[in-house]
Amino acid sequence: MSDLSALMKAPGAGLEAEDDFERINSLYMEKGWGDGLPIVPPTAARVEKMLAYCDRPLDEPVTLLAPRYGAATPLRLAANAVMAGCKPEYFPLVTLAIEALGDERFNLYGVNATTHPCTTMIIVNGPVAKELRMNSGHNAFGPGNQANATIGRAVRLAMLNIGGATPAAGDMATFGTPAKYTFCAAENEDASPWEPLQVELGFSRDTSTVSVFGAESMHNMNDHESITGAGLLKMMAGVVAATGANNLYFDGAPAFIFGPEHAATIAKDGYSKTDVKKYLFEHGRVPLGMLSDENIERRIRQWPVFNGAFAEAGLDRLVPVMKSPDNAYVFVIGGAGKHSAYVPTFGATHPVTLPLKTHDGRLAKSVAEFRRK
Amino acid sequence: MCELRKRGLVTAVIYSGPFEKLGRNQARTFGVPELPLVEITHPLGGLALADVKGRAAEAAPQFAELVRKHAS
Repeated sequence: MSDLSALMKAPGAGLEAEDDFERINSLYMEKGWGDGLPIVPPTAARVEKMLAYCDRPLDEPVTLLAPRYGAATPLRLAANAVMAGCKPEYFPLVTLAIEALGDERFNLYGVNATTHPCTTMIIVNGPVAKELRMNSGHNAFGPGNQANATIGRAVRLAMLNIGGATPAAGDMATFGTPAKYTFCAAENEDASPWEPLQVELGFSRDTSTVSVFGAESMHNMNDHESITGAGLLKMMAGVVAATGANNLYFDGAPAFIFGPEHAATIAKDGYSKTDVKKYLFEHGRVPLGMLSDENIERRIRQWPVFNGAFAEAGLDRLVPVMKSPDNAYVFVIGGAGKHSAYVPTFGATHPVTLPLKTHDGRLAKSVAEFRRK
Repeated sequence: MCELRKRGLVTAVIYSGPFEKLGRNQARTFGVPELPLVEITHPLGGLALADVKGRAAEAAPQFAELVRKHAS
């Protein structure tokens, strides 16, 4: 990989250090180049192996990462993917997630720099999730799966090291969230009674996609008693209809992660995804009187998102958390159990979904297509 | 803000204490490390209108001074 050798000779591209795990980790911690957990030292040899699964020019930015607007080149991303513990074949998904974060709709500056405890939730769809043995079932967001854990961590490390989202300097989160270490899973498409996320968004089922959300940690929705779709949706609308979440005040797009058992019950009663979204839009509303006087005045009556719709409203008027049914993102993840999850977002952010394509624009069926010639 | 500064207009970023580092980093990122930062007492959120006016009163003379310096 001759172009890599040339790039590595550029000033600041690398540093000389003894290849010793403890010493390199001490150095990285001291420099603030990480997330506080031990990293895999990104030696030139390891970075080169990572880049074996990259068909892009190594020094051409995939995007600029806010708040520093650092150039996220494949070379830099590969170093962060090594640090995170990624296998090289995961790298096309890391790169694609980073590309999605650069989309203006995502508002990466806001998501990274805000005091709000949001981070990037990454959802993978399509055949590549199985190819990489990603977890979409039990504990998909929990520990135990290398792809889920390290793809999410690599993206977060890139935001810290390239984007400058460092605590109290570029990331002003009041207290943050453990989801800032990693927050990544695949949709359990086989267990879904509905079309998977990428199909709903207009891609074919055999297209692999990465979706990014400027998300809070998830809020569980437990219901072991409801045996009808209407019952489950009523419970879920109650979770949405809460004060204090950013989605109430912004035109944002929260995610609803349905456990397979809840999804089956709801679908059995004839609810399509569109029906689910419509129900949650219509019933996930907060009575104006639940808010404090100051919030009613400043965040509802005078707030631009509502365009004066509640200027004179009585305290029993219902304020929609989602400003349109289409703002809801619905997908299925998980194993057995009567749980689903609501994932509120930063609010001033919209999810972005990108298809996995090779550099020459072909839809990729496998990560093998990214292997460097 | 940085673009306006580059065009020669008098500009400043108003910040409350904990956000100084973010403000300085952003000014550097956008190529205007000398962008004036006007400090007000933290916090700005969660204040009654009278207190918000108090914060504005802290910022106003600092900004007036910037304008005077620019004019001289």
